[in-house]
Amino acid sequence: MPHDSSPARVPVEERLFSLVLALLATENGLTKTEILSTVQGYRQSFDRSGDNANLERKFERDKDDIRELGVPLETVQSPGDPGNNQNLRYRIPRGAYELPLEVSFSAEETTLLNLAAMVWREGSLSAESRRALIKLRSLGVAADEPVIGYAPRVRVRDAAFEPLNAALGRGALVRFSYLKPGEAESRVRTVAPLALVQHQGRWHLYADEPGQPVRKTFLLRRIVSKVETTGTTFELPEGDLSAIALHELEEIWNGNTAVVEVTPGSDAATRLHKRRGTVETGPSTLELHFSDANILADELAGFGPEVLVIAPESLRDAVRARLEQTEADHG
Amino acid sequence: MAKVPPMQAADKLTFLLSLVPFLIERGTVSVAEAATHFGVKPELVREAVKLIAVSGVPGETSTYQYEDLFDIAWDDFEDNDQITLTNQVAIDDSPRFSAREAAALIAGLQYLSSLPENSDRAAVASLMSKLSLGASAAPSQVAVEGSETDGTLALIRQSVEGGVQLEFDYLNSRGDAERRRVDPLRVESIDADWYLRGWCHLREAVRTFRLDRISNPVVTDEPLSRAAADVQLPDTLFEASDEDLVVTLDVAAAAEPLLADYIPEGAVRSEQNGRVTTTVRVSHYHGLKRLIASMPGVATVVGPAEARAAVAEWAAAGAARYR
Repeated sequence: MPHDSSPARVPVEERLFSLVLALLATENGLTKTEILSTVQGYRQSFDRSGDNANLERKFERDKDDIRELGVPLETVQSPGDPGNNQNLRYRIPRGAYELPLEVSFSAEETTLLNLAAMVWREGSLSAESRRALIKLRSLGVAADEPVIGYAPRVRVRDAAFEPLNAALGRGALVRFSYLKPGEAESRVRTVAPLALVQHQGRWHLYADEPGQPVRKTFLLRRIVSKVETTGTTFELPEGDLSAIALHELEEIWNGNTAVVEVTPGSDAATRLHKRRGTVETGPSTLELHFSDANILADELAGFGPEVLVIAPESLRDAVRARLEQTEADHG
Repeated sequence: MAKVPPMQAADKLTFLLSLVPFLIERGTVSVAEAATHFGVKPELVREAVKLIAVSGVPGETSTYQYEDLFDIAWDDFEDNDQITLTNQVAIDDSPRFSAREAAALIAGLQYLSSLPENSDRAAVASLMSKLSLGASAAPSQVAVEGSETDGTLALIRQSVEGGVQLEFDYLNSRGDAERRRVDPLRVESIDADWYLRGWCHLREAVRTFRLDRISNPVVTDEPLSRAAADVQLPDTLFEASDEDLVVTLDVAAAAEPLLADYIPEGAVRSEQNGRVTTTVRVSHYHGLKRLIASMPGVATVVGPAEARAAVAEWAAAGAARYR
């Protein structure tokens, strides 16, 4: 590979930067050969008489990387010769590249956006919010100093999150094993991911399961296998899917109630009282909302003798069984 | 604060595309000011400026002639660390956000909707729609439920703004209630749980308080004795101390990340058949027994014996209420 041993090594970011500049500056677009033979970072390795397969592959990867950053790199057919791939032209239309003029942010808004970016400290969302902040700062607006320091954080610890988020962006079907509570064996599911939402501190996948009439919500922590992304893509349906997913979870939350008795002055009394939607229905008696009985049973078992479940019967049994198991495991 | 990982090529490209419109808008700016504004090291700004200064477009001749390149006032840059673009090509304005970048910020804003700073719902909604408008494609569908807190956050803010201490009843995990007076230093959160870190006048030390264990908060007239700038706050929410008790656990491998905050760095761990044996540090068994009882069958205490007994006793007392 004579090209790769070329002494004139140009750093990746210089090649990508030069590519963006060249494609922004062209009205009619550049052909692949024009790009490879003239743009800084490619031209050094371009062989006028030979095979440029390596360089072409590099260009394909660069195009993907640039598009990932939100740069609208488009292809246009050559007017005189439609259908001929060799004559496809590449360009970046300025209007689709630049932040619209009406999008500006005040110092106050910049402060809020800084906080919003801080929420993500792990995984791809962290890298993406970091890049969003760099772009935000190019507008030159300085943030207000907040009154009190905040260090908010949303965790993305489920191993399934990253592959699902990537598949969501690409509109690709995914396959995974899912263990429903109360079932001994997990089942392989193939679904079209529509949204990833965190509700009550837990990540859920909202998805279409081909052949099933209703959409499903999967709890990420019950995905027990690696998430495989299939080559099959689908058209994302219209609508604010994450809002719909959160709304459905909220309806389940509101629809499920449990009645518990708490020891006055205890940790359970304080914290369950402060739980969202809790109503005090009698002295030391609380009515709680929940979305998943198994998760609530775990949570209530943690309070030990400070909580007595009154209703429903199934939750009472579930909490009792958990406490007895913990007792037996530590006996 | 959180460590910033080194910039990858994608980040560097984003920085170059963002620095150019910033420099155009500012006219002349010092390296130090640009570095502070973008939150990066001055050296990174210098490198970027040097690269921009020799970059450009192939131009009519396809040979990168002088007029097809950016240029800077070199003398002022080299002698005084000042940046002025003297020629610009191709770029005028800031780049759009990618769909996923906009989605990350929108989801972050949703999560923070309960902060007093976000009390103007209409303003936050307009901010979100500006992010969508400024994205190159429809933001991808990631959302976080706004974690609700009661009025405590607003009182914390009020106390810092007024320069006075906050007083509240606090129940520790031993189950003891005490009236505390605190200089609020920082508000932190992990998912749906919110914490106040502050200087506790009762303990004369920095303490972390769970917001859902705080009752009857009142803004006092007592002036603050410490501001956030005076106190070195450790990065981790749960600080390790020499008096911590070390407990060995048997945990389902899939659940190990849930305990990550308690597992000290360099803890000895072994894995077999989907179960992990590892150690955690706790300040006392009161917190441990609650944690383990909330993970039935998933996490079990191996030792020491007193820790096992504390968990067994807690669970037995709970189970006894149903007999």
